Amino acid sequence: MVQDSLVLQLGPLSLAAPEPLYSQIVQAVKREVSAGRLSAGTLLPSYRALAEGLMVSVITVKRAYEDLEREGIIRRRQGLGTFVSEHGSDRSREAARAAAGAALAEAARTGVEAGLSDPELQTLLKQALLLLRSKQP
Amino acid sequence: MTENAVEFTRLMKRQGRFTLGPLSFAIPRGGIFGLVGPNGAGKTTTLDLLAGLGGPDSGSVRVHGLDVGTNEVEVKRRLAYAGPETNYAAWRRVGRAIDFVSGFYADWDEVRCAALLETFALERAKPIADLSFGEKNKLSLVMALARDPELLVLDEPTTGLDPAARQFLFADLLRRMQTDRRTIVIATHQLAELERFADRVALLDHGQLRLCADLGSLTERFRQLDIALPEAAEWPPQPGVRLIRRSGDRARVLVDREEARDDWHARLGGAPLAESALTLEELYLALVDNHNATAARVAESLT
Repeated sequence: MVQDSLVLQLGPLSLAAPEPLYSQIVQAVKREVSAGRLSAGTLLPSYRALAEGLMVSVITVKRAYEDLEREGIIRRRQGLGTFVSEHGSDRSREAARAAAGAALAEAARTGVEAGLSDPELQTLLKQALLLLRSKQP
Repeated sequence: MTENAVEFTRLMKRQGRFTLGPLSFAIPRGGIFGLVGPNGAGKTTTLDLLAGLGGPDSGSVRVHGLDVGTNEVEVKRRLAYAGPETNYAAWRRVGRAIDFVSGFYADWDEVRCAALLETFALERAKPIADLSFGEKNKLSLVMALARDPELLVLDEPTTGLDPAARQFLFADLLRRMQTDRRTIVIATHQLAELERFADRVALLDHGQLRLCADLGSLTERFRQLDIALPEAAEWPPQPGVRLIRRSGDRARVLVDREEARDDWHARLGGAPLAESALTLEELYLALVDNHNATAARVAESLT
């Protein structure tokens, strides 16, 4: 059985969320690594153990680990296990930055297609930021 | 040693007007394999043949390379089966049935059995004749889950289980997946749960295999799209493109991206308006024959 703390750290996973389960795991690991709550060198559970802990299929965790490994956030070492890689947190931050960039590009495209001017779009982004910050403690 | 836990080869079985197969597919070792399909699709017949309950008319079933027909004892030792049809009434009481069955199996775990009885609120003293449909299913589950077989075969295991008991069941199944030695085959209508817990799935319809794939691959492989096309336009059949519904100048189609040509919508003269991935349940409904037509007829008859 995996330590409950990690299961809580990576959860909750839900079919009700718009993202597929494997990408919910990818996002959760990136979030924890990027925030430094999972540090470089941390040993991660086997994908079978994590599947049991998170109550998802083995193939779901396997796929999440493969994605994370491809992005260089975790590293698999034969016979030793899977670890958070040395540059995992930089990579996570880069990935988070790229994801934010893509979401903003999409928002810009929607705005331009709707006929909004550049200042109008900039105002919208500022308002969104203000709203978000006001909600944070 | 073979990589597959189960191999069905040109399996056929006739039962009255129903014909199963010919079915050929494999269940890889070390995973949870879901068997889905409408009632009457042949799921139970397939699982019965897998468990050696009756033989096929032709073709074969192999479990870990052993033909089920000619290696009955060895296959039964490695396999546990639970289904709603299993009848233990001859043993009169829950406890006696358990004591009898447990004696046959070296992999029977007494502690696990007691825990299962407690979880399912089954009392050893209770007469089997007094069990409800759901309780009979629970007894059948206890008989299978108290063992630690290489191949666990479950037919509609969630019948009569409340959400907590279902959660317990799936946690138990995932615990068995801690080694790649064990394989679980599960026929169920609970598609949302299956989507979460299973590694691979096969869809049966009218005795035929419609689909057999890793669950992770389905969201990329299949898409549903709404397209606009002239109202009177014909609908020429195309590989990998299935019409789900059509109304006015709109059509909803299911596209199998492994089979469909890249220019499939241009060939229809329509433009895609919206696209989305599908849940397993949506994919099932889109692939299974005539479901929408029947539902529409029922709805009409009600108005």
